[in-house]
Amino acid sequence: MREHSGRRLRVLLAKLGMDTHTVGITIIGHALREAGMEVIFTGLKQTPEMVVAAAIQEDVDVVGISTLSAGHTRNLPRLARLLKEAGAEDKLLLAGGVIPEEDRPFLLEAGVGKIFTMGTDTRDIVRYLEEWWAERQAAETV
Amino acid sequence: MNKPIDAFVAANDNILAEAERWEAQTRAPFVAQNPERRDAFTTQALGWPVKPLYTPADLEAVGFDYCTDLGFPGEYPYTRSTRPNGHRSAYWTMTQVTGFGKGADWSKRARYMLDQGLSGLILEYDLATTNGYDSDDPMVEGEVGRAGMALDSLEDLEAAFDLPFDKLHYLMSVCNAPQPVNLAMIIAALEKKGVDPQDFVLHIVNGILIEYTCVGRYIYPPEHGLRIATDCIEYIIRNHPNWAPLSIISAQLQPAKANPVQEIAFSLAIACAYIDATLERGFTIDEIAPYLNHFVVNVDMDFFEGICKLRAFRKCWARLMKERYGAATPEALKIRMMTSPTTIALTLQQPLNNIGRLAIMATACALGGAGEAMTTPLYDEAHALPAEDAIRVGAALQHIVAHETGVAETIDPLAGSYYVETLTKQIEDAAFAEMDTIFAMGGATKAIEQGYFQRALGREQYERNKDLEQGRRKWVGVNHLVLPEDKREIEIFRLDETMEDEQAAKVRDLRARRDSTAVEAALEKVRQAARQGENLVPPCLEAVKVYATHGELCNAMRDVFGVHTPDSQLSGV
Repeated sequence: MREHSGRRLRVLLAKLGMDTHTVGITIIGHALREAGMEVIFTGLKQTPEMVVAAAIQEDVDVVGISTLSAGHTRNLPRLARLLKEAGAEDKLLLAGGVIPEEDRPFLLEAGVGKIFTMGTDTRDIVRYLEEWWAERQAAETV
Repeated sequence: MNKPIDAFVAANDNILAEAERWEAQTRAPFVAQNPERRDAFTTQALGWPVKPLYTPADLEAVGFDYCTDLGFPGEYPYTRSTRPNGHRSAYWTMTQVTGFGKGADWSKRARYMLDQGLSGLILEYDLATTNGYDSDDPMVEGEVGRAGMALDSLEDLEAAFDLPFDKLHYLMSVCNAPQPVNLAMIIAALEKKGVDPQDFVLHIVNGILIEYTCVGRYIYPPEHGLRIATDCIEYIIRNHPNWAPLSIISAQLQPAKANPVQEIAFSLAIACAYIDATLERGFTIDEIAPYLNHFVVNVDMDFFEGICKLRAFRKCWARLMKERYGAATPEALKIRMMTSPTTIALTLQQPLNNIGRLAIMATACALGGAGEAMTTPLYDEAHALPAEDAIRVGAALQHIVAHETGVAETIDPLAGSYYVETLTKQIEDAAFAEMDTIFAMGGATKAIEQGYFQRALGREQYERNKDLEQGRRKWVGVNHLVLPEDKREIEIFRLDETMEDEQAAKVRDLRARRDSTAVEAALEKVRQAARQGENLVPPCLEAVKVYATHGELCNAMRDVFGVHTPDSQLSGV
C-alpha cells in the first residue's frame, strides 16, 4: 500500500446481528492486511451500537460490514444513522455480501458509502480503499 | 504362489513399460509441438496434481485391491454403495431446503414444493431462532423470517404444519444450538396435528460442533453444547427409534472451503465426539452408530473430486466404525448420506448459468452414489431467497438426472476407472492421516477449543480465493466470459417488510394472553434439569405446551450454562 502521512489505513470489519457467514469477511480481512492496512475484526453477533462504539474506540477510518442474511435493509441504515449521531460520519461505511441491486440506491442514500457485492475481486476493494484514503489524506493536508 | 495376482502384477509391469514407451514415443513429441494449456493440472479443491493418463499401473502404485477396497454393494466397506441394489429398487429421496417468513408462509411454500414432486422437506429457521432469540428481541432486528422461518412458540409450528402429512414423509429440522427446545416444539406440534410419529421421520440436525467450527450459530460453551446435543440424541433413541437424532453437515464445512480430505476427516472426527458422548449414556456402538451415521455432503464442480469423495466417505465411515469402535452390524458400518450440489459453485453473475452447474453437480452426486437423499440448491441463491421458478427448476433437475441420463441404472458405474479408483484411494488415505492428527490433539472438541479447524479453513479460504483472482482457476461470469453489463435475467423473491413487526407483535401478544405462572414454573424446571444434568427434552416439552417461547427457553439454559464467547480473531490470520 502507498504510504500516506505515515499512517496506515485502519479498517474495522464487522458482522451485524445473527448473520454468521464468515468466509467473505475472512478473505477480505486477509487481503486488506496483505495490502498493508490495519484490520480489526469485531467477531460475530454485533449490534450497530457495538460496532459504532468499536469504530470510535479503535479510531478506524473505515467500517466494513459483511451481510449475507438479508438483514441489510434494516441494520445498515441504522448503523449509518448511529455513526452520524456519534459524530463519526467521516468514517467510510462499506457494505458487502448479498445485497440485491434494487436495495442499493436506498442504502447509499441512507449513508452507506460504497457497496461491494459477492464476487468482487479483493484487489478492486483494495484499490478503492487506497484511492479513497489518498483523497482523504489530500483533503486533510489542504 | 498366488497365480492370479502374479499374473495381474506381470500384466501391470507390461502396462507400466508400455505407458513409459507411449510417453516417450507419442505424447512427449506431441506436447513439444503442442504445449499444454496450463503449467500444472491439479484437482480443484485439493490442488493435487492430475496426470495426463491413468492406467492399471496407478492402481498398483496406490495399493488398490478390488476385494478389500471396493467389495460389493451393500457389503463392507461399502465403497460401491451402502445399498445392495444401488438405486435400481428406489431412487434417492428428492428434497429441497425451504423456510422463510411466518409459519403460514412456510406451509404455503411447503405445499407448493410437495406438489412439485418432492416427498421430503428441510425446514430452516431464521437466525433469530437458530441463535436462540425471540422475534421481538432487539438483538435480532432485521433478521426475522429472513434466512428461514421465524419460530417463537408452538403457535408458529402449528401454523407451519398445516400440511398434507400423507405426502410428507420426511422432515429435516435445522436448529442446532437450541435443539432441545426445537425438538420439543416439533413433537408437541405433531401431537396437536394427530400425526403418528411412527409414520413419519423427523430428522434433527443437532449439529452444534460444526457451528463452533465454521458456521457460528452457537449459544452455550462447547462442553454444554455437546451435552445438550447428546440429550436430544438419547431422547430420540429411547422414545422415537424410527427418527434420526443427528446429521453431520459436512456440507457446511465445504462452503467454508474445507477440501475433500478435510471434509471427511473433520466430519468423522466430529462424529466421534458425539459417539463418545452417547456411549457414556450406556449404549453400545452397534446400538447408536445407526443413529449417528447421517451426513450431508456437498459436491463441487470438480466432477471427480466430488465423486471420489462420496465413495471414500462411505469407506472411511465403515473403517472407522470397525477399526476404532469395533462395530460389527451392517447398520452400524453403513453411512447414510444426503448429497447436494454446492451453493458456492453458483454465481451472482449470469445466474441462468447456474442451472448448468447444478445439473453437472447433481449428476456427480448420482454417479457418486447419491445417498439416501439428494437436495438441490437453486439457481438464484446468490441473489436472494429463492423464487418459485427456481424451485420448480430445482425439483425438475433431480428428475432429469434420475430419469433421463441412465446414471442410476447400474451401481457405481465409474468403479474401475483408473483415475477414479486412484483418487478415491488417495483421498481415503489422506483423510485417515488427518484424522490421526485430530485424535492426537485429543479429538474434535479439543481441536475446536484450540482453533485448529478454524485456522485450517481460514487458510483454505484465502488461498482458494487467490487462485481465482490470479486466474489459476477460471469461473464463467466471474473471471472468464464476463459480460460488460451483467443484466439480471431472473425474477427475485421479496419478503414482505412488515413481516418482522407482525411476528414480533404476535409473540408479545402471546406472552400477554398465556398462563404466565405455568410458564414460569416450566422454565424453572428446565433450569433445574440443566443444573442437575438431567435430560433437557422432557422439561422443554412441558414448557412449550404451555407456550413458553423459544427465546425464553434458550434464556433459561443461558442462565445455567452461560454463553460462548470465542476470540474475535479472523480465522487463519
